[in-house]
Amino acid sequence: MIAQEQKPIEEILGYLKGKRKVAVVGCGGCSTFYRTGDKAAVEKRAEELMSKGKEVLKIVLPFSIQACEIEKSGVWLEKNRKKLEGYDAVLVLSCGSGVQVVADYINEKMGFAVPVIPANDAIGLVGGGPRSLKETCQSCGMCELGKTAGICPLTECGKGLMNGPCGGVREGDKCEIDEKKDCAWVKIYKRMEQLGELDKFEEIRDPHEWSKMKRPRLFEIENPVGISEMMGALPGMLSTMLGPKPKLDE
Amino acid sequence: MKRRSDEIYSDLMRELEEGRYVFTGELEPEKAGDVNEPIEMARELLDLVVACNVTDNPQSFAYVSSLAASYQIQKETGMECVYQLRCADRNRMALLSDVLGAGVLGIKNILALAGDHVSLGDTPDAKPVFDLDSTTLIKLIRTVVSEGKDLAGNEIHNPPKLHVGGAAAPGAAHLKAEVAKVKRKIKAGVEYLQTQVVYFTDVLDRFFKELGPVDVPILVGIFPARTFGQADFFDKFVAGVDVPPDYLENMRATKQIKDKEKRKEEVDRVNVEFFTGFLEHLKGTPAAGCHMMAVGYPRVIPALKKIME
Repeated sequence: MIAQEQKPIEEILGYLKGKRKVAVVGCGGCSTFYRTGDKAAVEKRAEELMSKGKEVLKIVLPFSIQACEIEKSGVWLEKNRKKLEGYDAVLVLSCGSGVQVVADYINEKMGFAVPVIPANDAIGLVGGGPRSLKETCQSCGMCELGKTAGICPLTECGKGLMNGPCGGVREGDKCEIDEKKDCAWVKIYKRMEQLGELDKFEEIRDPHEWSKMKRPRLFEIENPVGISEMMGALPGMLSTMLGPKPKLDE
Repeated sequence: MKRRSDEIYSDLMRELEEGRYVFTGELEPEKAGDVNEPIEMARELLDLVVACNVTDNPQSFAYVSSLAASYQIQKETGMECVYQLRCADRNRMALLSDVLGAGVLGIKNILALAGDHVSLGDTPDAKPVFDLDSTTLIKLIRTVVSEGKDLAGNEIHNPPKLHVGGAAAPGAAHLKAEVAKVKRKIKAGVEYLQTQVVYFTDVLDRFFKELGPVDVPILVGIFPARTFGQADFFDKFVAGVDVPPDYLENMRATKQIKDKEKRKEEVDRVNVEFFTGFLEHLKGTPAAGCHMMAVGYPRVIPALKKIME
């Protein structure tokens, strides 16, 4: 999922200068998981804005209703069409994708001309948890994990080297850039050693094919998952999650 | 490896091929609109070293282009330059352009480096590039020079004639991974290696032992500090380099000497005393020479060279 951090209120107030009526839209996807766009986050942002004299419309998107999927978030926007019409700005508590999808829908489909402003900074596709997560994939379009023992050097190595480690590995096998982070290439070395594949470490890996990342990348899906299909999966998911769970050490 | 004489393009490579003990120096272009100071230093080093590295945005501080500086220093002084080229600031197209440009400007040696991350320097908001890494940059240069092609297979008319060196870090926190990477650089065709600064003989010994015999000459990097501040900087901020506490303390003590000339004499004495032991030890290692990163401190070099005679 896409991890996010909340922007400082001062930055948001800067974008909202001269705007009195502000709609605050949450997100029921990643932002709800990471508490940056759930109901509580919408309430908190609304309170902050009201304390600065703004009139606020709160639009909470429930769990699983992502701002970035217009088939879902559009329902909640349409529900609030009448109220939204008189508003000066829309603040979206999601990643940049959600902000843009909402902005496109409001400005192009709903027919208002309203600035749509981000409340969060997306910081990457993260994995792990439950509390500590790490950016693990940058969706580069050409997965290299098969060459690097399942550890992405483009994402985990601070320099994104395909042939590391660099000369800056710190004491305790930490990264040159940030001593709190592990050196990805030492991790790759250790993993290959564990797998008995150290001969692969000395191979020269070709430079990454960035031609697979011509932005913006477009994606077609023939049969998108609808709400009913998603809901149909819930009972099975719940019974599995309520059963024995792996022990998660932090 | 034995090269034919028409495959030797630089004085540095000639001396390495002939098995002579090689000394190289280092020049640092600055944040300025000229390279007067490195030119001055190059003149002082002219009879002391076979070639000088010209640094490329060291520690990710943006300075005069190392290509422009290398060209100007060679032209003005006749000092052979080792053009340092790092991947941090250029994609593979810009790297190729600069390699070809170096050939046009008469540069005969390139030291291929990944480079420090931009966030460590004076322009931390810059976008780091690292499209290639040191290994693939070495491969690019070798492919250009030997095959007249770039990495995409595009032909290069009249390819440049130059040599490529690479770096090694004997003090790396994970020596086995570092040595495996060095071996990878050798596979990529690196023609000589230059180590990061080393102060401890046991660090160097461990590195040579782990590496085993290789067919590529290795220059060991040493850093006789001109001031306590320089030595302290290396100790505190350069990953993989530890400075011996005794040496550091002796350098610190020189700060107390008020008389400038006497202080210089004491700094020289501390350096010569420390490096006598280190260089005597170096004689017993497979090192092919010594890269003296004595930036702005050429006066100490004759005494150090004498130890190696």
